[in-house]
Amino acid sequence: MIKTIGLILGIVGLLWSPTAQAAEFKFPSVNGWKQVGEIQSFDSNTLYEYIDGGADLYLAYDFQELKVAEYQNDKKASVTVDVYRHRTPTHAFGVYSQERIPGANFIDVGIQGYQEKHALNFLSGNTYVKITGYDIVSEDQTSLLSFAKAVAGNLGEKGAFPSILAAFPGEGKVKNSEKFIARKFLGYPFLHSAFSAEYDVSGKNFRLFIIEGKDQADCRDMVEKYLEQLGRADKTAAEGQYSLSDAYHGEIDLHWRGARIWGILDLGDPGLRAKYSKLFEEELQKRK
Amino acid sequence: MKDKRIGRRDFMKTTLAGCGGLFMLSSEAKGQETKIVDSKGKERKFVYRTLGRTGLKLPVINMGVMNSDNPNLIRAALDSGMVLLDTAHGYMGGRNEETIGSVIKGRLRDSFMIGSKVSLPQDRSTGLYLESATTDEFLRKLDISLKRLGVDHVEILYHHGVSRKESVVYEPVLKAMEKAKKEGKIRFAGISTHMNEPEVVHATVDSKFYDVILVAYNYQQKHMTEVRSAIARAAQAGIGIVGMKAIRGGNRQSPTVQSAAAALKWVLQDPNVHTIVPGFTAFDEMETDLAVMENPTLTEDEKKGLQKEASLTSLYCQGCRQCLKQCRDHLPVPDLMRAYMYTYNYRNLALAQDLVLSLNLPNHACEDCSQCSVTCSVGFNVSAKIKDVARLKDVAAEFIA
Repeated sequence: MIKTIGLILGIVGLLWSPTAQAAEFKFPSVNGWKQVGEIQSFDSNTLYEYIDGGADLYLAYDFQELKVAEYQNDKKASVTVDVYRHRTPTHAFGVYSQERIPGANFIDVGIQGYQEKHALNFLSGNTYVKITGYDIVSEDQTSLLSFAKAVAGNLGEKGAFPSILAAFPGEGKVKNSEKFIARKFLGYPFLHSAFSAEYDVSGKNFRLFIIEGKDQADCRDMVEKYLEQLGRADKTAAEGQYSLSDAYHGEIDLHWRGARIWGILDLGDPGLRAKYSKLFEEELQKRK
Repeated sequence: MKDKRIGRRDFMKTTLAGCGGLFMLSSEAKGQETKIVDSKGKERKFVYRTLGRTGLKLPVINMGVMNSDNPNLIRAALDSGMVLLDTAHGYMGGRNEETIGSVIKGRLRDSFMIGSKVSLPQDRSTGLYLESATTDEFLRKLDISLKRLGVDHVEILYHHGVSRKESVVYEPVLKAMEKAKKEGKIRFAGISTHMNEPEVVHATVDSKFYDVILVAYNYQQKHMTEVRSAIARAAQAGIGIVGMKAIRGGNRQSPTVQSAAAALKWVLQDPNVHTIVPGFTAFDEMETDLAVMENPTLTEDEKKGLQKEASLTSLYCQGCRQCLKQCRDHLPVPDLMRAYMYTYNYRNLALAQDLVLSLNLPNHACEDCSQCSVTCSVGFNVSAKIKDVARLKDVAAEFIA
């Protein structure tokens, strides 16, 4: 009999058990608002049910779990709090950076946040939090900030932006334009993840980027495959500078040293390219 | 209380119903034609179909921009012969539309088409709209989208993410779309669905309101047969059909999809699908799509591959019966594979047990052979599955039914 019950429990457990519970996070109480309904949880297999095709972007950034809570006030306004947890703080920054609008109304919550009329998003550690208000009036907009602060408090240590971002030269950099691209940088599967930042110098718009490889061999592999892609398989991959002409991206200055590949995109002016190559290299030297 | 268990006869009916064909008899889509297109300076012949009554002529594959933040990739897609860019108000918090805007700036307006989507707040558990889902909110979002894109109209605007028939005819959205059409902000009204698709597609046809349906459709859908017949009805009613999630869930990283090209061709074998909008983020994926645009016909090898994959994914035994000759104990392997599918795919323990009990299995099935003599044609580990599912024989029925 015990064996039978065990078998039943085993089969039923196998078939029906919910996914393992994620690291405990508690949705906060917020003055004037009442939590309604059950807290919903989604994992990488079920995220599609919540955000449809948008899920692909989050999955590309090693999404782990989403928890969703809804609140209402006496005026029937409602607020939804989505807490996305990613594998690492860098991945959380990555998806946040893909949605961040450089000219947004930035606020001091978590590592960084920004607020629009009906929405407030912020980054904290390995979580990306999205707070959305429905039927809210102007005074409720301050409530979004109260929610954000309360949620941030319950998330614990907020952490900081990835330290490599400090290596992008400040001169001409478009504020809050830094991104982390988790895979297939430039649309090439052989290039791994990369950080990038946008620049605007005297009306010239261009990008700097850096790929941090696992080691020198990893970077060699990426450079060799890139040269092959550009029809320069004859070129021996060696550490140093490459001036590349890419059919999709135009002229690219690319540098490889050790476990780092960095470069400049979309900049035709050779003088400015040389200047920013030097500036970027100097900053990277400081952060070896 | 009604006995939920299914008898042998009913079980056989269910089994036969599950054998819906993966492939269709070849027939060309109405209005299909081949166009010679300048694809980045090279002439290529792409297959075009007409998007139902909209009359829009589109290549059979277009770009799902969704996850791409790479303007050069979008530019390359347009320069290579893709025409329709599929996006949504909410993708990347709006940055997706902004990126498209930066690419199409300065291009001739008739050289590209845009399909975008607007959603309104829904109750996630019921799929029904909340009070805050208003006509004004829908139009406000549309205006923001047009501004981000830098255009005065989009070719198709979809009522986004509908999963209930009641939501198909949600009055505030219909009013908003009518107004937007009158004001020239949208040319055609569409609806998108990725859950409960057959119900939504049928309700869309009945509504007589929409011109285009964007629908999840792929060879691994459990209810693929129902989706297929709903699409056929919609296409017959003149509605343009755009397929999405052709490569299961739209995520090309899915380990179960061996050939993206075959998965795309599988959708296009259905003449009622006019175009598909797979998302891609890399140039090699774009090249795969361009090759399918030239020749969307499934090869025999691709068909075999899809059949095998569909079997592995859905746990569906193909019924080739080769195992019957191979099994030393003469076990009814195909029936046991179905029982396994009922257990783990259909999650219907009663049905599975009913079947297992009807087979008069020996005690300790598969446990006496040190090595299994069966080599399954679709790669099932037959003995492991049999040992697992045969345990249902020992479970008292009242625990299950």
